[in-house]
Order: sequence, then C-alpha cells, then structure tokens
Amino acid sequence: MIEIDRISQRFRSSGRQDHLALSEISLAIDDGAFVSILGPSGCGKSTLLYIVGGFISPTQGIVKMKGKPITGPGPDRGPVFQEFALFPWKSVLGNVMYGPRQQGVKAAAAEAQSRALIEMVGLKGFEHFYPKELSGGMKQRVALARTLAYHPAVLLMDEPFGALDAHTRTRLQNDLLNIWERDRKTVLFVTHSVEEAVYLSDQVVVMTRAPGRIKQIVGIDLPRPRRRAELLLDSRFQKYVVEIERMIDDGGQDALPP
Amino acid sequence: MISWRALLSHLAPLLACIGLFAIWQVAALILDTDSFPTALDALRAIPAILGDKESLINILASLRRMAVGFGLALLLSIPLGLMMGRNRFIAAFFNPLLMVIYPVPKAALMPIIMLWLGVGDIAKTLVIFLGVSLPVIYHSFQGAKAVEEKMLWSGAAMGLSAPQRLLRIVLPAALPEILTGCRTGLVLALITMITSEMIARQSGAGNILFNALDMGQYDTVYAMIIIIGAMGIGLDAAFENLRRRLVRWSEPVFELPLSFA
Repeated sequence: MIEIDRISQRFRSSGRQDHLALSEISLAIDDGAFVSILGPSGCGKSTLLYIVGGFISPTQGIVKMKGKPITGPGPDRGPVFQEFALFPWKSVLGNVMYGPRQQGVKAAAAEAQSRALIEMVGLKGFEHFYPKELSGGMKQRVALARTLAYHPAVLLMDEPFGALDAHTRTRLQNDLLNIWERDRKTVLFVTHSVEEAVYLSDQVVVMTRAPGRIKQIVGIDLPRPRRRAELLLDSRFQKYVVEIERMIDDGGQDALPP
Repeated sequence: MISWRALLSHLAPLLACIGLFAIWQVAALILDTDSFPTALDALRAIPAILGDKESLINILASLRRMAVGFGLALLLSIPLGLMMGRNRFIAAFFNPLLMVIYPVPKAALMPIIMLWLGVGDIAKTLVIFLGVSLPVIYHSFQGAKAVEEKMLWSGAAMGLSAPQRLLRIVLPAALPEILTGCRTGLVLALITMITSEMIARQSGAGNILFNALDMGQYDTVYAMIIIIGAMGIGLDAAFENLRRRLVRWSEPVFELPLSFA
C-alpha cells in the first residue's frame, strides 16, 4: 500500500515566478493494483511519479510505503522511463544482470534469471547486443526486464511507451499486461493516452493542468484478462474513454508549452 | 579478398608519408643549402642516434618523464573533472581557477618552476603534468555533465550509493569523452616534454635536438625531428587502438580514421 499524503511541489526558477507543479495531492494505491495517472502535459504527473520513486523530494507532504515514509530511491520501487536510460556500455544481458548483481546475487544465478527475463520480454537471441544496436521498442523491453530483474514491489512507469510508434506501443502494452497478470505487481503508470490508461488500469487518476490536482479517480470495471481487440468493440470501454476525454477537455485551452 | 578501395584506405597514411618525404627530397636538392639536408640524409642519420647508448638513455628518460607526468595528470584530473561535472559547488570552486590557468602556455611557467625545483626530472614532469591536466579535466567535466539523470536514477533504484554511481555509472558513461581528452592530453604531453627539455637543457630528446643545432649537425637535427614525430604518431596510434577497444559500445558505425591506428 502506497499512501500519498498532501504532496505539493514547487519549482524555484530564477527570473520567472516559482512554478507550482503539484498542489495537495492525496492518493492511496492498493497492493497489486494497476493505477494510471492521466493528465495534460505539464500537469506534474511525472513529478508525482518521481516523488514516489524518491528521486526528488516534495516541497510539502509525505509519501508512505507499507507505513514507512519514503526518503529516497530503493529497489522496492523500480522505474521504467520514456528515455529507456539503459547503460550503453553494457550488453542487454549486462543491463538486466546489473540490479541482481548489485543486490548481491551470485553471477551464475543472476545470469540464469536474467536470461529467463530476456526471453520473457521477447528478446531471446539479443543477449549480447548493445543498446545502440536495438530499436526503441527493444530498448524499452530491455529496460522493463532490467527493472523486473531486481524484483521491485512497485513498478513506476513514466510514459514508457510514449516514444514508440503506434504498432510497437500496442505490442508492448499487450506484453506488459501479460507479464502483470502473471505476478500482479503494483504498477503506477503515467501516460497522456486515455485509451492506454483505460486498457491497462484498474483505476485511472485524472489530473488537472498545472498546478496539478486530482480531478477525479475513475475505477475501470472491465473483466480481465483483457483482450485489446475485444475491448475496442466493447461499449463499456468506449464509454470510459469518452467520459475521461470529456473530463480532460473540461479545462478549456491547451496546456502551455513546458 | 581485400578490395582495392580498402587496401588504398589502409595504405593512405603511408602514401602521405612517402609523398612528404619525396617533396622534402626534391626541395632540398633544389635549394642545396647546409641547413636543409635531404630526406635521405636525415633518414640515414637515424640509426646512428638510435644506436648511440647516450642518446637512447636520453630518449628513454624523456619518455619516462612523459609517462609519469601523463599518468599522474590522469589520476588527478579524471576524478576532479567528474566531480565537477556532477556537483555544482565543486564546479563553482575550481572553475575560476581553471579558467585562469587554461590559456596560459604551461612552458611559460618553466622559468619559475626551474627557479623553485631546479632543472631536473621534477620540474619537467610538473610541466608535463600541468599541460596534460587541463584538457583531461575539461573533457571529464563535459562528459560527466552530459550523463543522463534518468540513468543515475535507475542506478539509485538498484541501490547504488552516490560514490558508487560516480564510479560505476558516471565514469563509464563519460568514458568516450574522457578518452577524447586523454588523446589531446597525450599529444600535449609530448609537446610539453620537448619544450621543457629545450628550456631546461640537461637531458632528453629535446636536448639532443638543440645540441645538434648548436653544433651545426643539421642531419641529426632533422633526424631527431623525424624520431620525435614518429614517437608522437606511434603513441597516438597505440592510444587510439586502446580507446576504440574501450568504447566500442559508443562508436558510430561509419567513421573516418583520424590516426594511424
């Protein structure tokens, strides 16, 4: 259980006025839930994810995990970034093994686990490739495997499929759902795609534009396992998408460029 | 089978050398003055220098000073540059100092250094050290500054502490840039080595060169220039080989060779 308790984030910038990115966000995330944070660009949704990750500390408020306040990054919360952030000097296998080795897993065991994960994300045969030799979709698969390798209780996904083409994105969404349905980790998933959020999530947290506040939390009551082709024809799915899109449009003008 | 094109691109540096020597030979024959020996005369003087025990000791002493100065400079400059790249306060502290030192020709400091430390190994090694340090610090700084924040966050989530992140993420991520600085540093080490020996003439390759000049042995002068030039090319090629092996993961697919490696 993750408890986000009245988080505010203010960014100081010289010359301009301070920017209030998040204002009084409170949210509780159950263990094993797939929760998406959805909002217009610049609404602070990624900032919220970084705060839960412990990568930045909030100006005000507190985040607790299993009752303990979060003070910094830790292997119980594994990030997957839009930019992949792979270690370019390591091979695919080297990247995936990095976390387990850091946790003190013996080399042979870490390698066996990592090879299995690489196969699970569909990259068998690419173990000794370097990141520069992979496509965007393959890089994100490696990044996912690298994070899963150290068994975080929570996956923090920051627009992970935002930089991919539509076809690759769909395939990765399906694969992510399959993997998630196997071990049901808690997932906090930041996106600006309404369809993606509805397709994947148990709950969709809709945010307002800056300063980011929670506008509404929508529970997605669709049966699992979900099949994309079936859902697209399902009127309940369509209703959720339209309902949430209206909520976002409600704000009026487009968000200012960052 | 090796294609003609590939063969030609491998031989190109050699052909350039032969071309230079040919122009030199023709020019020397036309000008016909004592102070400009022909290329063949200069080449013929090389075995005599390399066969002379005294000269060899001198050249090896030069190389030793260069290696020590270069090595010490890397040992200090890389960590300093990396820390400056990742820490605003360290950067703010050292940056003004480096900005002042950077454009000063290090050989110009030689008289002061000689006054304090004499004309021996220590003074010359120090000048080499100073010459190498700045480009290495600068490139390490740039390399460390450019490391993607998210990469460091990924490491932090795996449980790497701040010092571990500097050693195991910032250092390898910045390595291509650091090695670019080291390559510049290596050439500067050779330059400052020879310059320091020209000023503090006690031993070394630069000393042989200038003694020969004083005594009017022009073929020896030109032979020493060829030897020193060959040392530079050889060291640069060896370093470029090492560099490529270390950062193969970052190399673009196509590149124009810029060394003999």
